[in-house]
Amino acid sequence: MKTLLICPSHRPAVARLTDARPLVLVPILGKCLLEYWLEHLVAQGVREVQVIASDRPDRVRELVGDGSRWGLRLDVSPESYELTPAEARARCASQARITGVTPPDDIVLIDHLPGLDQSPLLESYDAWFQALLAWLPHACTSDRIGRREISPGVWVGLHSRITAGAQLHAPCWIGENVFVGPDTVIGPGAILEDRAFVETGSHIVQSVVGPETFVGELTRIEQSLAHGDLLINWKTHSILIVPDAFLLSSLGERPPLDRPVKRAWAPLTSLRHLIPRQQE
Amino acid sequence: MNISQLPELSAANSTLFRDEVQASMPPALNILEIDLAQTVFVDSCGLGALFSLYKATGNGSGGIKLRLLNPTPQILQLFELTQMGQFFEISER
Repeated sequence: MKTLLICPSHRPAVARLTDARPLVLVPILGKCLLEYWLEHLVAQGVREVQVIASDRPDRVRELVGDGSRWGLRLDVSPESYELTPAEARARCASQARITGVTPPDDIVLIDHLPGLDQSPLLESYDAWFQALLAWLPHACTSDRIGRREISPGVWVGLHSRITAGAQLHAPCWIGENVFVGPDTVIGPGAILEDRAFVETGSHIVQSVVGPETFVGELTRIEQSLAHGDLLINWKTHSILIVPDAFLLSSLGERPPLDRPVKRAWAPLTSLRHLIPRQQE
Repeated sequence: MNISQLPELSAANSTLFRDEVQASMPPALNILEIDLAQTVFVDSCGLGALFSLYKATGNGSGGIKLRLLNPTPQILQLFELTQMGQFFEISER
């Protein structure tokens, strides 16, 4: 069986999630959307996958390689824009006539998590968050070594440290190598991605803390998506670049922006990071 | 007493802002209003200046009301992140 996956390109409603990577590579509970789809297809018996990517296809190819990691034959085809399933089908049929290549049995636009057709992922930040919560019970698969459900609805990953006095309220997902400090309140509805670091006395409720994100002492993150110093309130869609690193910041290197920055504008671009962004 | 037209409250101007406001507060002041409608940037120093004024007005129980007007959604996010919003009366006008 052969399946063609169409990676969604830019979606204005969740644009800030794609600052550092294409939408299909944004971390979701330790993996990305494309990885979940490839795992799903393997479980369905698919052996050959063609991935059509219009947003940074080199990054997509870098992640999936030739698909051998999943036991797949996989090819990434770059496109200049996001094809509709009908366009992709017509193009495949045309190629099949010319080259004799087998057309795909199925074509999927991966704008949702596998099996969660009713939870649109990319319509808004709110929808993104709700889809992640809906995905929680499906994410604890057997390949996640060391992950355990320490109490109903509370999942903790390998090498994570939760100090005494931290309160974990279901549903709650704590990734790998996460530190949760004393007197913190995590959840309900909290997702701490891998290598997040949460300092003493912080509250994280109905929110996602991205990978390698530092949450400072006594801070409160509510109804938000925090990725490095970027704080998105998924309810109001207000977006803030937090000015002080001791409140919220990235523990990793600042990801490169996808858009090229002309050298003459570089100093102004740096200053822009100091100014809270206008609502999008 | 009403203060407005503040483009930012940051390390660059927060000390001056705090000192000037405190120096110009009349003895019989009832309400101190700070209009943040024009304020596009606040950092921890700016928050510190606002908190100093909160303390100078008697921690909300000294008879002087400290009211913050028209903060942008981004500044409200910062208040929520730092849990500073609980100290101020915040309103739209």
